[in-house]
Amino acid sequence: MKKLYFLILAAASLFNLNLIGEQTLSIVKPDAVKDRLIGEIIARFEDADIRVIALKMTQLSKEEASKFYAEHQGKPFFQELITFMTSGPIVAMVLEGEGVIAKNRKMMGATDPTKAEKDTIRADLAESTTRNAVHGSDSVEAAKKEIAFFFQPNAIYPAAK
Amino acid sequence: MAKERTLSIIKPDAVSKNHIGNIVSRFEKAGLEVIAAKMKHLSKEDAESFYAVHKGRPFFNDLVDFMITGPVFILALEGENAISKNRDLMGATDPKKADAGTIRADLASSIDENAVHGSDAAETAEIEIAHFFKNNEICPRTR
Repeated sequence: MKKLYFLILAAASLFNLNLIGEQTLSIVKPDAVKDRLIGEIIARFEDADIRVIALKMTQLSKEEASKFYAEHQGKPFFQELITFMTSGPIVAMVLEGEGVIAKNRKMMGATDPTKAEKDTIRADLAESTTRNAVHGSDSVEAAKKEIAFFFQPNAIYPAAK
Repeated sequence: MAKERTLSIIKPDAVSKNHIGNIVSRFEKAGLEVIAAKMKHLSKEDAESFYAVHKGRPFFNDLVDFMITGPVFILALEGENAISKNRDLMGATDPKKADAGTIRADLASSIDENAVHGSDAAETAEIEIAHFFKNNEICPRTR
């Protein structure tokens, strides 16, 4: 029985399916780190049955931030975003749970905090569209890329192994 | 009052019970700033060298075995009297003896699985922070 289980997992990983739990990248941005809201934000995830399976605090260089946000290069808000994201340390983490990508986006609320639904992270804790407390991957592909940007596989600790 | 640094570890019991945010927000609400943080599953060697001062004591092997049962969350905290403030927030080693409202009274299940570690003096804080964090992993606030 156990053998069969591992066989199925091995097969699933070949086809890039994740039966155990979806993963997403979350960033607590410099505004929220400075406002001492790291714990508050992580607690919201954990209370929603999402698990933190990798985490590090880091100060992004301009080059790192530009690389992370490469798809926004050339957009009018790009420079402001990079300046903000390098203004202080951030906390990058991998979250795991069922449907966690969509769940995280729902919990964050709209990019513009004035448009974010009540009780979301941004409605409660963010100052503006730029200084908006959190980042979350918007798709499976983005999550994969963003997680690999910050974490080596051996620094990620999935709950179910 | 001088600004101090201290090392905090959220142990495998509290990590597995999804208490990371709860504990970190207690530090932040008390005015302590997180200046370094990482999640790590310690190897036996890591845990033994971290707790080297306890080597030979009767609880040493159990402590090491427990500390490697799952990932831990390691933090460097900075603030006024960070070392004693953190110890006040943690409460007594034995959760049954910990003051009400402390981390261990609220979240720890036993003297072994007691949710958190905190440095006990300035010298140990320095050694413990250096044990887990390289200088470039420490991010003191610049604004």
